[in-house]
Amino acid sequence: MAVLGVSLAVSTAARAVERPGVGKWKAVEVVLPVNDADEACLGRPIALALDADHLYIVDAQDCAVKIFSKDGEFHRAVGRKGRGPGELSFPSGVSVIGGRLYVADKFNARVQAFDRAGEPCGGFSTPFAPDKVLALTGETLLVTSSPTGRTAAEKMLHLYDFGGRLLWEGLEARTSSDPVFDAFVNMILVCPGEGGDFFVVFRSGERSILHFTASGALAGKILVDERHAFQPLDMPFRGPKKRLLGFCWAAAWDRGFFYISAPAPVEGKDLGPGRLLSVVDREGRLTASIELPCPVHRFVVEGRRIYAVDDDGGLRIFEVVR
Amino acid sequence: MKKLAVLVLAGLVFVSAALFFPTSLAAHHVNECYKDHLDCRVNALNLDAPWYKVMLILTVCDIALGKCALSL
Repeated sequence: MAVLGVSLAVSTAARAVERPGVGKWKAVEVVLPVNDADEACLGRPIALALDADHLYIVDAQDCAVKIFSKDGEFHRAVGRKGRGPGELSFPSGVSVIGGRLYVADKFNARVQAFDRAGEPCGGFSTPFAPDKVLALTGETLLVTSSPTGRTAAEKMLHLYDFGGRLLWEGLEARTSSDPVFDAFVNMILVCPGEGGDFFVVFRSGERSILHFTASGALAGKILVDERHAFQPLDMPFRGPKKRLLGFCWAAAWDRGFFYISAPAPVEGKDLGPGRLLSVVDREGRLTASIELPCPVHRFVVEGRRIYAVDDDGGLRIFEVVR
Repeated sequence: MKKLAVLVLAGLVFVSAALFFPTSLAAHHVNECYKDHLDCRVNALNLDAPWYKVMLILTVCDIALGKCALSL
């Protein structure tokens, strides 16, 4: 059965690489400057964000947000481990707006704000462990959470003003009798759109992307081209064989296009991060694919540049050649 | 009759108190188990590891919750 699973996964991957009628773009790696500082090392980078001048990488291990230039030169780190102001415990998301840095401080159950100098300048507590944070406009902040499975109808999206007042909650978690399966089908990624709109991408089980307005209203559902193939994965242990359909390892949005990386078969029957990015337009059509030199875990895109984190937690910058 | 009522009420108060304290402690213990379970899940889901491995870890988290709640 495992052999069947692997061969199915491999054939699906092969189909995804071929993709008839889809442009193939190249990614050329940009040579990064040598960053000697210990702080520049990334222990467990789990989220990235960009503003006009900088790249921000959340390092959950060092409990800090590490700030780089857009050419990869390390500038400084913001935050340290702890529970007090300016301290973080398992930061998991970051967003930048108006010169302020908003960090999802997961184990402290709060969102913390930092100013340009890296000093704490406010924030608010949340009744859940915040996962990702996204400044939508100058007035609202989207905070995501992973469902705990302990209460019914848990919401995964929460819209706050910068003072911490809850404005809206939505996107109910899907539940079944299998908490492990539920954890996977409820794994979401959020991408900032234009004018405060945002997109929700499910990492597994669904090929669709939800489009929300800045106020939280559902504006549409984008069905992604089936040439961006699912990667099946048989679940271990649980009762009758259950198959999880992996859709996306990471995703980004830039200038009218989604960049979606499909999970790829690794280590036999497992699924890990892939090195193939699908470029999908806002109607869900696959317009191009980009083959990266290495698998990437998280990435953000700006114009022709892809800022990514590789298997070893290292920063990589790629220039896309069309 | 009054004496009997007083005795019954006193008995009820005593039994309630005797039952409440162990229950309260058990509830506290179970809450700790759930908190640990939540931390275990959060860590697993943020590992960014291949999914089969994450599934195994989540399953271990669930087993640990059961063991903790049953004080095994």
